[in-house]
Amino acid sequence: MPVEVIFPKVDMDMERGRIATWHVKPGERVSKSDPLFDIETDKAAMEVESPAEGFLHHVLAKEGSEVAIGVAVAWIYAEGEDVGDVPEGRPTPADAPPGREPDRDETQWQRPAQATSPLDAGNRRATPAARALAAQRGIDLKNIGGSGPRGRVQAKDVIANLQAPEPPLDTRSLPGWRPERGDLAVVRSGSGAHAPILMFHGLAADGPSLEALDPLLPQDREVLKMELPSHGRSPRRRVAGFADLARQVRVRFDDLALDNVHIVGHSLGGALALALADTRPRQVRSVTLISPAGLGPEFGGQILRGIIRAGSAASLGPWLRQLTSDPATITEDYVRAAMAARGDAAMRAAQADMACTLFPDDTQGFDVSGTLNRLDCPARIIWGRDDKVVPWRHALRAPGKVALHLLEGVGHLPHVERLEEVASILSDNVCRSSRSRAAN
Amino acid sequence: MNAESSVRGEVHELSYAESIRDAMDIALGSDERVVLMGEDIGVYGGAFQVTGSLVHKYGEDRVMDTPISELGGAGVAVGAALTGLRPIFEFQFSDFSTLAMEQIVNQAAKLRYMLGGAVSVPLVMRLPSGSGTGAAAQHSQSLEAWYGHVPGLKVAQPSTPRDAKGLLLAALEDPDPVLIFEHKLLYKMKGPVPSGYYTTPIGKAAVRREGTDLTIAANSIMALKAEEAAKTLADEGIDAEVIDLRTVRPIDRETVLASVRKTGRLLCVYEGVKTLGVGAEVSAMVAESDAFDFLDGPIVRLGGAECPIPYNPKLEEAVVPQVPAIIRAARDLANGAI
Repeated sequence: MPVEVIFPKVDMDMERGRIATWHVKPGERVSKSDPLFDIETDKAAMEVESPAEGFLHHVLAKEGSEVAIGVAVAWIYAEGEDVGDVPEGRPTPADAPPGREPDRDETQWQRPAQATSPLDAGNRRATPAARALAAQRGIDLKNIGGSGPRGRVQAKDVIANLQAPEPPLDTRSLPGWRPERGDLAVVRSGSGAHAPILMFHGLAADGPSLEALDPLLPQDREVLKMELPSHGRSPRRRVAGFADLARQVRVRFDDLALDNVHIVGHSLGGALALALADTRPRQVRSVTLISPAGLGPEFGGQILRGIIRAGSAASLGPWLRQLTSDPATITEDYVRAAMAARGDAAMRAAQADMACTLFPDDTQGFDVSGTLNRLDCPARIIWGRDDKVVPWRHALRAPGKVALHLLEGVGHLPHVERLEEVASILSDNVCRSSRSRAAN
Repeated sequence: MNAESSVRGEVHELSYAESIRDAMDIALGSDERVVLMGEDIGVYGGAFQVTGSLVHKYGEDRVMDTPISELGGAGVAVGAALTGLRPIFEFQFSDFSTLAMEQIVNQAAKLRYMLGGAVSVPLVMRLPSGSGTGAAAQHSQSLEAWYGHVPGLKVAQPSTPRDAKGLLLAALEDPDPVLIFEHKLLYKMKGPVPSGYYTTPIGKAAVRREGTDLTIAANSIMALKAEEAAKTLADEGIDAEVIDLRTVRPIDRETVLASVRKTGRLLCVYEGVKTLGVGAEVSAMVAESDAFDFLDGPIVRLGGAECPIPYNPKLEEAVVPQVPAIIRAARDLANGAI
């Protein structure tokens, strides 16, 4: 009997997901626990292992297709076993085509099953006038607080949103920009035989912003810094959402063909590091997160807005000083250097669009906290207690096996404000993780 | 033309009943085909003294007392209309029209259709209706929705002396049966009425008060209560638009929709029982139209309670919408509290 490959449920509230990549082609041999395919949901991406040894057949869900949880997407046949028609018994993707609700009795009005919270996508309680106005102005009702009974959005709420003194991210002063072709930039430094360190910077930063750590890290290995789309030397690209951004990072990561790697991420880069560790658990030796995003909804968007919009050192400086606990840490030289790196107005516009997408209304629109529970490598979180961009209390969602380093008198830039201490924690995580696994 | 036609001459203060009598007097005097029929409309002057002394002016051939048989009287009226007269038939109470439903619903409303357009039934029926007079459950109903449900009939509900006359004269011009529901509480109400002949268009609502915050669509006496409520609401800063439907079949869709597109909120007020009443039709009309997209709150109906009209005056008052209830509902709706 062939073994079914079931599309699994990886998140509590997940109903369907997308198959991002098949690692095995139909007809190919696969061993039990080999990576079989990657799945993506609204919140996470992860790798699914093969349930059996044998040959993969009847691949019913193509890459990129949406699949309901619990359906069979393929079968694994033992060596020599006859491959006939698709075995029956379990629903397949064809039984529940994407986007089609299960049939229900049309004579019975039913409350949508998931309408438990007014913030649920698509089920926002709103008057027809509010819906029409929001549609006309291209506003997402999810982002509007309803003043009516039970949170119902009324026209005046949409109008208030239109007239809000601060739009989610004011791009009016920024020029338009065009997407560019090319791979995400990876800056390499150092060399050595041991598993390299791969770093991800945060929103509105770039690879060089993490350079100061290099000389303080173990010198027996290479350090790579991947620059996010529309950041540093990476091409300007559209980002459809966090899952899309994570996919772009994963594609570039696969290009690098790193067997063993220690990953480090700051802020948005931290969320991406977590997403990558979830989908490429075999390659990732350790994870070090510095003030990571993606663990809770709060987000100091005003500061990031200020940074992204700033077109001169005079307007950039005050916002950069909000990043650190002690404003004096950010010198005039630091501000001038940062502004020099942000001179390209089209890049700033592209970053503004990305920020709008990822952080609508100063809210972290994505949540990777579930990933922390699935990590099976050593993980540490470094956070400043005075972080005004991402509150350190989000770290409390981490499970016990994740070490938390809370730094007193430190803001959102621990690697700037306490360079040595951060380098030391990071090095420790890298070296211990290396010792714990014979592979390195 | 939707406006009142041919208004000439002076304007007098007349009661609703006097205004209807004035219309019948003009019709009797100018068109020999016009006859009045009904129980006790001759020497007695009508159950609510609407026909008054017309019998003395026009004689018993033109103002005919009919036997105490609504079905018989209505049948004669339908036959008279079919054969060339222009009868105005009065019921003592609209409640008693149930006895004549065969003639109204199966004959008057259907004959033009059944005979391939060869005939029409130019019949006018006057039906005193509504509660508030202490006449209890069998003499106080508002049955306009029953007849409004029947294609082939037209149903008007004047709420002012001026409209009472204009609609009656318009009904007489109409080639098909028109039922005019007259609210009994309005008979003594006075208001300006132009002298001479004019008509008020059937199928055209009146905007009694323009406003921006919500639309109150009401029929008959409820339009007056809504106007009164709107005055109090204006003191609170709520600007209500009041629409007097005037005719429920055909119903003036465009006036209601245009108002809802402007205000975004709709309150329907009607005395008939709430379920399946006139307000249900108005609500559905808006919900089915493009005006739906302009709604910025739920559609609210205030209708009569689901019970017979009680005899006890307090209870009688309690089972139909009154001004304070209209104010409360309008306020909650305008403030987005419901």
